[in-house]
Amino acid sequence: MIKIEHLNKIFNENRSNAYVALKDINLHIKPAQTVVIKGVSGSGKSTLLSIIATLIKPSSGSLMVDEQMIAKLPDTHASHFRNVHIGFIFQAFNLFDELSVKDNVAMPLIVSENRQERIDKKVLEAMELANITHKKDQSVHNLSGGEKQRCAIARALVHNPHIILCDEPTANLDRENSLKFIEILKSFKALGKTVVIATHDPLFDNLESVDRTILIEDGKIR
Amino acid sequence: MPNKVFFNFLFLLIFRHRSKHIAIFIISTLVVILFSSVMLLSHAIEQDAQASLSAQPDFIIQKMHAGRAVETPVEWLDELSEIEGVSSALPRVYGSYFYTPNAEYFTLVGIDLFDRQISESLERLVKDLDVKDFLAQPSMIIGSGVKTHLDKFYYKEHYTFRTPAREKREVSIYDSLLSETNIVSSDMILMEESLARDILGVDEELSTDLVLYVPNELEHDNVKEKIILLFNNIRVIEKEELSTAYAQMFNYKGGLFLLLYMVVLMTFILILYQRYSMISSSDKKEIGILRALGWSVNMVIRLKIMESLIVGLSAFVLGILLAYGYVFYLDAPLLSEIFLGNANLSNKITFNHSVDFGLLTLLFLFFMAPYISAVLIPVWRIAITDPLEAMK
Repeated sequence: MIKIEHLNKIFNENRSNAYVALKDINLHIKPAQTVVIKGVSGSGKSTLLSIIATLIKPSSGSLMVDEQMIAKLPDTHASHFRNVHIGFIFQAFNLFDELSVKDNVAMPLIVSENRQERIDKKVLEAMELANITHKKDQSVHNLSGGEKQRCAIARALVHNPHIILCDEPTANLDRENSLKFIEILKSFKALGKTVVIATHDPLFDNLESVDRTILIEDGKIR
Repeated sequence: MPNKVFFNFLFLLIFRHRSKHIAIFIISTLVVILFSSVMLLSHAIEQDAQASLSAQPDFIIQKMHAGRAVETPVEWLDELSEIEGVSSALPRVYGSYFYTPNAEYFTLVGIDLFDRQISESLERLVKDLDVKDFLAQPSMIIGSGVKTHLDKFYYKEHYTFRTPAREKREVSIYDSLLSETNIVSSDMILMEESLARDILGVDEELSTDLVLYVPNELEHDNVKEKIILLFNNIRVIEKEELSTAYAQMFNYKGGLFLLLYMVVLMTFILILYQRYSMISSSDKKEIGILRALGWSVNMVIRLKIMESLIVGLSAFVLGILLAYGYVFYLDAPLLSEIFLGNANLSNKITFNHSVDFGLLTLLFLFFMAPYISAVLIPVWRIAITDPLEAMK
C-alpha cells in the first residue's frame, strides 16, 4: 500500500527562483494495483514518481509504503528501501551502453547480493521474464529500442521489488514495441506488483489492465 | 559489495573516463618518479657513504699554513702516538693525479700494508687481497671510475705514471675496489706508500696528513683536546664530522628537492582537483542511474574512490619501478651529478640496490594521502548530485 497525504514539493525553497512542483497531493494506491498518472510535460508526474522512489524528499506531507514512513528517510536507508522495494523503468532506459545485457540487469544486485551464483540465477530469471535472455551477452548499444526496453524491464524486476515505477516508458518506443510493453504490464499484474506509470501516451487510456488513471495538472491531482 | 559485476563495472568506468585518467596517470607517474628518485638516490648514497666511511680512521690531522692545508711533518707521530687512548698513529700520503688521456683527476692514496689496521680495512674493500702478491711489484688497486677511464684507453694490465721530475713509473693494476664503496672510492687509486710518495713528489719526512685510531669512542673528545694542545696551526677532523658532513650535504640537497617536490605536489593536487571537479553530463547520468538502482551516496563515493585508487596506485607502482630503474640501472644521470658534484672524476657511479619498507611507506604516504584528499571532495560533489536531474 502506498499512502500519500498532503504532500508538497517546492524546488529551490526559500529562494527567489522557488518553484512549486506538487501541491497537496493525496493518493492511496492498493497493493497489486496498476495506476497511470497522466499529465502534460512539467505537470509534476515525474516528481511524484521520484518522491515515491525516495530519490527526492518532499517539502512537506507524508508518504508511507507498507506502513513505513519513507518521506524523510536518510540517504542510506532510502537507498536500501529503493534497492529492496522499487523497480524503476525510465523513459530513456538509462542503461550502461558498454555493458552487456546481463551485467546491466545485475546492477541493482551489486549492493545487495554477495554470492555470484545467486546474482547469476536472479539475472537469468529476470531476463526470462522480460524475454531478453537470447541477447544476454550482447552490449546494450547493439540493441534495438524495444530490446533496450526489455533489458530495462529485466533490471527493474531482478531484485523482485513489489513496486514498479515507470516514467514515460513508451516515449522512446514505436507503436509495436509500445504495445508489447502494455502486454508486459499484464505480466506485472500477474506477478502481484504495484505499478505506477507516469505518461502522457494515449495508448494507456482505457486499458483493461489499468486499475486507476489519475490526472495531474500544475502539480495538483484533478 | 565487491563482486564480479562490480569489478566489471569499475573497469568499465575507468575505460569510459580514460582520457581523464590517462592525463592524471601520466602526471601522477611523473610526480612519483621525481620524488622517489630523489628519495631512493639519497638513501643509496647514504648507504654507500656509510660503507665507505666505516674504513676511515677516527681522526685526521692536517698542518695548516695561511688557512690552507700543507704537508704535515711525520715526526709529529711520536707525540701523537703517546696520547692516552690512541692505538695507532700513521702518516697518509695522497693527492690528485692528472690523467692526461681523459683530462681527469684521480685521487692517489699511499697505504702502509704492513700496518694491521690498514691491511684489515683494505681487506674489507678488496676481495681476495694477497699482500705479498700485491707488494711483489709496483701495484695499485683502483676505484670503479678510474677503471672505466683506464679501460677506455686499454690500460687493462698496467698504467705508467709520471713523477713531478717527469720520470716514468709503471704500476700494474692489481684489482678494483668493491662496488659498496663507490661514492668515496670511485676516483681513488690505492698503492704502496713509498710508490705514492714517488709519484706525488712527497718527501719521506712529510705526509699529506696524519691519522689516528682511537678504538674507545668515549675517549674521542679527550683525545681531540689533547691534539689541539700539542700543536699550533692544525686542523683535526673526526670521523663523525666526516659522516655528518656527508649526511648534511646529501640531506641539504635532498631537502632542496623535497621543497621542489612540495611545489610540484601542490600543483599536481590542484590539477587533480580541477580534473575531478569537472562533472560531465555522462558522469551525472551514471551517478543518477546508480542512485536510482539503490546505490547510496557512500557506495557511489566508494566506487569513485576505488576508480581513482586504481589509477593512483598504478601510477605509484609504475613511478616507483621507473625511479628504481633510473637510480639503480641507469645510475641516476643528472640527479647523481647534482648530489655528487664534488668528486674529482665525473664519476660513473653504480648504486647498490637498497630499498627499505620504511622508505616505500613514506613514499606511499607522501603521494597517496594528498592524492586521495584531492579526489575525495569532487567525488562527494558528484555523488550528491540530484539523480532525477542527472538522468534527464
